[in-house]
Amino acid sequence: MQRYSVLLRAFAAQTSSPVQQASGYRRAFATGARLGDEVQRDSDGHIDVEKLLSEPAWSVGSLIPAEGQQTESPAISSRQLHHLLRLSALPLPKDAQEEAMMLKTLSSQLHFVKDIQQVDTTGVEPLRSLRDETAEGEKEAELGMAAMKGALEQEDVRGKYHRRIRRRRRSGGMEEKAQEGEHWDPLSTAGKKVGRFFVVEGGKDG
Amino acid sequence: MNSSKLRTAPLHLSRALHSSVPTSSRVPRACIVSKWLSSRNFTAAPPLAQESIPLRKHLKDEAKRKKAEAKNNGVVKEGKGDPRLDNWELTVGVEIHAELNTACKLFSNAPTEGSDGVANSRVAPFDAALPGTQPQFQVATLLPALRAAIALDCEVQRKSGWDRKHYFHWDQPNGYQITQYYEPFAKNGTVSLLASDGVPATDLNGADSINIGIKQIQMEQDTAKTTHHPPSTYHVDLNRAGHPLIEVITLPHIHSPQTAAAVVRKIQSVLRGVDACVTGMELGGLRADVNVSVRERGTEGTGSSYSGVSGLGQRTEIKNLSSFKAVEDAIIAERDRQIAVLEAGGVIEGETRGWTLGAKETTRLRGKEGEVDYRYMPDADLPPLVIGSDLVDHVRSTMPELPDETVGRVQKQYGLTVKDAKTIVDLDEGDRLEFMEETAELVTHGLGDQSLDQLKIGKLVGNWILHELGGLLSSNEISWNNMPITPTELADILINLQNKQITGRVAKQLLNGLLEISTSPRPSVDRLIDDGNLRLRPLSEEGYEALATQIMDESPDMVAAVREKGQKGKVMWFVGQMVRRGEEGTVEPEKARQVLERLLGS
Repeated sequence: MQRYSVLLRAFAAQTSSPVQQASGYRRAFATGARLGDEVQRDSDGHIDVEKLLSEPAWSVGSLIPAEGQQTESPAISSRQLHHLLRLSALPLPKDAQEEAMMLKTLSSQLHFVKDIQQVDTTGVEPLRSLRDETAEGEKEAELGMAAMKGALEQEDVRGKYHRRIRRRRRSGGMEEKAQEGEHWDPLSTAGKKVGRFFVVEGGKDG
Repeated sequence: MNSSKLRTAPLHLSRALHSSVPTSSRVPRACIVSKWLSSRNFTAAPPLAQESIPLRKHLKDEAKRKKAEAKNNGVVKEGKGDPRLDNWELTVGVEIHAELNTACKLFSNAPTEGSDGVANSRVAPFDAALPGTQPQFQVATLLPALRAAIALDCEVQRKSGWDRKHYFHWDQPNGYQITQYYEPFAKNGTVSLLASDGVPATDLNGADSINIGIKQIQMEQDTAKTTHHPPSTYHVDLNRAGHPLIEVITLPHIHSPQTAAAVVRKIQSVLRGVDACVTGMELGGLRADVNVSVRERGTEGTGSSYSGVSGLGQRTEIKNLSSFKAVEDAIIAERDRQIAVLEAGGVIEGETRGWTLGAKETTRLRGKEGEVDYRYMPDADLPPLVIGSDLVDHVRSTMPELPDETVGRVQKQYGLTVKDAKTIVDLDEGDRLEFMEETAELVTHGLGDQSLDQLKIGKLVGNWILHELGGLLSSNEISWNNMPITPTELADILINLQNKQITGRVAKQLLNGLLEISTSPRPSVDRLIDDGNLRLRPLSEEGYEALATQIMDESPDMVAAVREKGQKGKVMWFVGQMVRRGEEGTVEPEKARQVLERLLGS
């Protein structure tokens, strides 16, 4: 919990109003007011807030191509579509109409992605997940002697003249397992099974 | 009587047929009798086999015959050099997947052993990819991985990541394998090979050893085990799914199939020596994939490069080789195929190929079009792996002796040959070597200030443990764990032997006897010697001469053979006779031989 609050604080400190944050950044297909335009101020330097908020400066609609608008992204071939569907183990389109729909959707999604790719990310490490990236956070996550203590204790040194390290093996059978309270039977999730095995039909339709 | 239709066998043959000699010793004049009988449709007993040739003679004759045949056919041995290899150079890279020796799996706490091998009994919800389950890195699995990295001389990276390698297969419930593609935990290692490891001289180029670079070592998950039930059904056992593996990737520094097999053997023995990976290739705990390419000597191939090594030809990958011999054979077959294609003017495609035992050529599994797009991406569920330097230092300082060092030490300290040293280090997970070292120390101690050369003691002990004891164990089919003989007992036998208290023959008998005694407390060797009256009562010089003369008188023809025909080997026959004839524990073969040579020489 502590880590998250640290993260949120850091995050909040960096965030400012959306309008000011993206100065100098031009989005290719935006139909609203272009950002980077100076916010209008009167002679005293005050902003007419009501006027500013009276119309949207940006619309989500800018992310997808308007009806009839020619997109600049290259056309996707039917072959590419089929390849992507196979990679994702998704069923191929039933007929030409469904395929046309899929291609259209994919095309507008690519339009959106191209928009995002306009952001200048030189020198920025991609975010993998929200974690504590401070020095203390890394120290907490570090695996050192303390963390390995349990594992090190499970080893013996064997021999006096020819010393070798050997991990102590557990030799329990099914009874020992049951005593530990592992009551979940993986085969209870099986649609098809034979004895203690899951069954897969590997044929062409499988 | 030359009647055209003779209905009865001729008289001289009937005597043979009605002979009263029992059938077991009847030696028919095969041609005449059986031919006659079969020509009249009488069944003949199969002709008795000829007097059986002694096995050794038979084997020798076979070998001679084969050699003569080969000479006639003009067969050139591979070792003499395939002429094509003068023009073409082979380059091989090896990728080894080895199962880590851990108590639980890599990202779940399901155990890796126990439950008597019942299928699907060691499966956690994450291993079965139940929706919503998350991986949890099991810290204990880092220890053997770290040992493996340090034993192979790698630089351990402080921070490394976990990536997903996506592909669909029924042995991969999650739809992706968690591996370390972008940031492995160890890089830039080496493995050294000597000539005695099986590296051909052409690779050594005059040096004592060669170093094969290791690009990286990474941790990853194993897949489930599937068994095929024809025609198209598969049974899946998830016990193995999620088991930790390390993948060791070598650089393309290998230039012959024998070296490649030697690399795999060496890496397996290093991993076993540090208790990181203890299941070997024969049990399926270690698998190898190889990348093979050829180029014309002196050229840059097709200009391909891999990890800093450039000027290589197009490579193909051979997957899932499961024995050392398979590694060697598959590389030879693939090299020959590639050379044949290139010499015919074709082009090598970057494919994935497979190898089955006993095949002559590799088979194509996947072409470039079928190449899988793994869409590697960092796994968001797992934090990066951060390894503390205190742990790395601790593991480095408590590293056990590596197999190479042990073999070298055994050679130096105990005078064993390289082959014997390697054998004894490998046997019984090092327990046999431990036994030998303890025995050697006891013998040295027991012989006191006679100060026999330490190397001589070592050789004596080594020979007894490898050959005598080893022979007894295998002929009685006893495993090392069930062997009751203690180092003290063996040491006592050898001390008595060295002190000439007993003969070699008696020593071997004692060893045999001790193997069979299972009562406790076990009687000491000295007790056994005294009880059995086995102590050497050395025969006097006259005694030897008397016995020798007696035997010589009994077999004058053997004496003649030695004296006149100069067959010196027959002296040992006399020695044997003396030992057999003399009272148990009195005749020493060495002394007997000296006496006999003196008497026979005269």
